[in-house]
Amino acid sequence: MSAQDEDPEVGRWLNRLNWALASAADREDIVEETRGHLAESIAGGLSPRDALASFGAAETYARRFLDDIELSGALGSQRSGAMLSVLARRVHTSLVAAGGFALVVVLAACAFAAALTAIVKIFDPAHAGMWVGRGIFMIGVLSDPSHAHELLGNWIFPAAALVVALAWILGRLVLLWSLRRIARAR
Amino acid sequence: MTGEERPDSANGRRAQLLKGVAELALLSLLGERPQYGLEILERLRGEAGVELAAGTIYPLLHRLERGKLTRAEWRIEDDGARPRKYYALTDLGREELASQLVEWRRLAKALNAFLDRRRTK
Repeated sequence: MSAQDEDPEVGRWLNRLNWALASAADREDIVEETRGHLAESIAGGLSPRDALASFGAAETYARRFLDDIELSGALGSQRSGAMLSVLARRVHTSLVAAGGFALVVVLAACAFAAALTAIVKIFDPAHAGMWVGRGIFMIGVLSDPSHAHELLGNWIFPAAALVVALAWILGRLVLLWSLRRIARAR
Repeated sequence: MTGEERPDSANGRRAQLLKGVAELALLSLLGERPQYGLEILERLRGEAGVELAAGTIYPLLHRLERGKLTRAEWRIEDDGARPRKYYALTDLGREELASQLVEWRRLAKALNAFLDRRRTK
């Protein structure tokens, strides 16, 4: 069966597949392989409808390739942004993704708070730092420092840098672990 | 109706069980010689009873290729049929197959012993 004498239903389905795979580098390869499979199945006696049914909807079929390309691309590059973006897109379908994403958000919030406190300390050293007092233990900006004692002083700068570095390292480990778990579960 | 639901539920159970062994069966099949998608699918169905859909096998084959466990090449057969994409195991794929086989045999032995525990008592 050449592309010219292809069943119209098969042709439409392959066009939809081609369109759905627009972002895949090996789109042509996938479409041609699928076309060959359909042609052989139909030549072997299967009706075009039954042959197509074994692939499901073109968009769903394409999604399986795209999910895999996306996941292996992020794991291969190990770029934090790419890994976070892939994880975020799976939050509603995977418990591992949801847990990993939540953990990364918490780590990012800690890093942000530590960095912000260190920056504020430069401009307002009297109110920013690590505070302990009666019922108080916090890192950040305290509006009334008379009820608490600041512990770190200028050590807040290396401490903040350490928190940011640890959050970055732990965040990357969480991203890698989560994506590898998701990849293994497929 | 329960009578009508049973086959679906059995199919669902079977699909879940097969999901875990499909990759092993596929690697084992490719360990023999390079093969193309439709041939793999028919052999998995006929010889291993692994009823995979066409929509499942190709993403799996591409995933294995991307993971460098297989390599693929397009071949034009002598009969003049359309080109077919053949998949073959790489050295890494053979190592993976050996490792999955060891794990599968260990697991199957332990599970069989566990499931037969009452019969052997």
